[in-house]
Amino acid sequence: MQAAQTRDIPVLEFPKLTALKTERWLVGVHLIVAFSALSLGLLMGPFQAFRRAPALQWDIPIFSYYYQALTLHGVLNALVFTTFFIVGFSYFVTQRTLQRPLASIRVAWAAFVIMLVGLVLAAFAIVTGQANVLYTFYPPMVAHPTFYLGLTLVIVASWMAGGDIFFTYAAWKRDHKGETVPLAVYATLTNFIMWITATVGVAVEVLFLMLPLSLGLVQTTDPQVARIMFWFFGHPLVYFWLLPAYTAWYTMMPKQNGVRLFSDGLGRVAFLMIMLFSIPIGVHHLFTDPGVSEVAKLFHALLTFVVALPSLLTAFNIAATLEWAGRKRGATGLIGWVFKQQWGNPVMAGMITGMLIFIVGGLTGIMNASFTLNLALHNTTWVPGHFHTTLAGGVFLTYMGIFYWLMPFLSGRKLFAPRLATAQVYLWFIGMLTFGLAMGRAGIEGAPRRTDAGAAAYISEAAVPWLNLTAVAGVILLISSILLYIVILGTLFASKKQEKADAEPPIDTKAPADDPSPSIFENWRIWMVVIVISNLVMWGPVLIQALDFTKGFIIFGFHPNAPIPLK
Amino acid sequence: MHIDKFERYWIVAASLMLGAFFAALIASTIVFGVHLPDPAGRINPADAEDWTNQGFATPGLRDMGDNHYEAHIVAQMWLYNTGDVVDGVPTVRVPQGAVVTFNVASKDVTHGFYIEYHNVNIMVIPGQISRATVTFNRPGTYRIICHEYCGNGHHNMNAQVIVEPSA
Repeated sequence: MQAAQTRDIPVLEFPKLTALKTERWLVGVHLIVAFSALSLGLLMGPFQAFRRAPALQWDIPIFSYYYQALTLHGVLNALVFTTFFIVGFSYFVTQRTLQRPLASIRVAWAAFVIMLVGLVLAAFAIVTGQANVLYTFYPPMVAHPTFYLGLTLVIVASWMAGGDIFFTYAAWKRDHKGETVPLAVYATLTNFIMWITATVGVAVEVLFLMLPLSLGLVQTTDPQVARIMFWFFGHPLVYFWLLPAYTAWYTMMPKQNGVRLFSDGLGRVAFLMIMLFSIPIGVHHLFTDPGVSEVAKLFHALLTFVVALPSLLTAFNIAATLEWAGRKRGATGLIGWVFKQQWGNPVMAGMITGMLIFIVGGLTGIMNASFTLNLALHNTTWVPGHFHTTLAGGVFLTYMGIFYWLMPFLSGRKLFAPRLATAQVYLWFIGMLTFGLAMGRAGIEGAPRRTDAGAAAYISEAAVPWLNLTAVAGVILLISSILLYIVILGTLFASKKQEKADAEPPIDTKAPADDPSPSIFENWRIWMVVIVISNLVMWGPVLIQALDFTKGFIIFGFHPNAPIPLK
Repeated sequence: MHIDKFERYWIVAASLMLGAFFAALIASTIVFGVHLPDPAGRINPADAEDWTNQGFATPGLRDMGDNHYEAHIVAQMWLYNTGDVVDGVPTVRVPQGAVVTFNVASKDVTHGFYIEYHNVNIMVIPGQISRATVTFNRPGTYRIICHEYCGNGHHNMNAQVIVEPSA
């Protein structure tokens, strides 16, 4: 009877050109929340640039306090927008690829509600000015408890989402014994395994260190230990943003170009390597910390160079696939294929400009990770310059490329003003390249990051023109942002309804049969063991060295507005 | 799993490139002696005795002879206490060619300690002593900047190193 029931799970027919109701609402609400949060977070960006530019020094509207605006910018864009977008997108990819509903639609909705409550709690603390602690919330600086509670809820909900996706895969696997899972779901699984492992660090930090301190249950903490726990999570966080973009490049871009991926197997190797190597390298964010040994820093630097390899594999695989696409359209010569890409299509323009700017992001990332070279860069504006070319560049532009087919497909409406969408993408690309360059140069001239430079007394003369250039980039990015929301609102409210989409979602439901990958790639037990052991080896000694076994936690908390310990 | 010939070349080339980068970093430390911060001891900012014993009750520069100096600096919301002030700016005054070991401790939250155009870039984390050694070869005034957000007045937190030319 039991067996019969499991087999009777309704197999949904996924119509090629229309979205199912479950997809439409579940994925749709994730996107709506993501882009609502982003609208405010995005707006803070250019105004920070205007505030920091010596030529302007404008006050930031709405949230006039610089560090409040900066906290809002970081939390809404990097934590809220990304998490909602990724969870919604991952649901879509999993359901469509495996051609079956999620293991539990109820869990998915529950996760959404919990995540939304978390967002509201965290946003309340920030908007009311009780959490001016930036998105890294380093202790002993203390924010309002709802800030930590909200972040905890977002994390817990993302675990539920990941679990749901994994159970969906397990059910598919039972029905498809011996089959290789399509690459898009393989990538999604690696992303959530990495994410769930990594978030343990920040969950422990928030639940056992920050929340009790903020509630006044304990009075002391250990900032060095907290930083170690945060960066156990912090580096995989950036890969959590990146892997959905890689998923689009590897699995959707080929289909959108009418070709197949150059190498499915090496694509899997790339995702597998990132899953394994994105956590035991996080000390490269702590290169200048006094409580971490130089030897540990060297080992983490070494593994950081290893995790650069999958991105270099990606560069070859994706470029080779694009070359095939170009040659198929009649390109000749060595570089003719470059000109035969769909440069005028917002979907492809988003992805290709994303790839191009990610080259800058990847290279500057290798520089940051370069051990002693980090002394010249750490905590200068170079660092936000770098991650605006990765997260706000490669990742965001690719998300735009995804969004410009996903939104019309889900809403059943034509994309409003596709040319405007294309313009949005190119303006963003140019604006973010300019911003990255300007921030990078200002950083080399000694401009510190996370600093209200508009009010500071000490900005180096050599950094001034570059800080002014960030304001120019801010204007370009502000225009691009406005175009983005015109396209979104236009599509939802002013565009033609259509029964059927112009194109089916670019999803492969089968792995290539002619070039099978070794089955060990899908042996998750082995990889989990590797993850646990490698992290015990790489992080265990770092944590033990930082813990003070004789005195315990001795550092009092502080509010960011007064040098008085919270006793 | 098939791997294309050119892809194989690419993997080898990429690995060699990363290997060369890493070798250069090892060389920067072993050959050129540039080091990242290493643990230099703990301190309890709430314990006055500990604070005094480790030299932070009397911040300032000590001449250790042979052109070597040791500086104790307190980082606090939102200023540095270097034991010397020039034109309202906390100052460390050293002669050209001085080899200075900075010991920095925080009284409250996490701060940064960054000296323009020198290899000094270290977090100042309460509970830990931050140590960095640097040689000042060129005369001039170099800013010390707190480069980690430390609250409301973070952007005011700075000091300077004045390197006086040796006659």
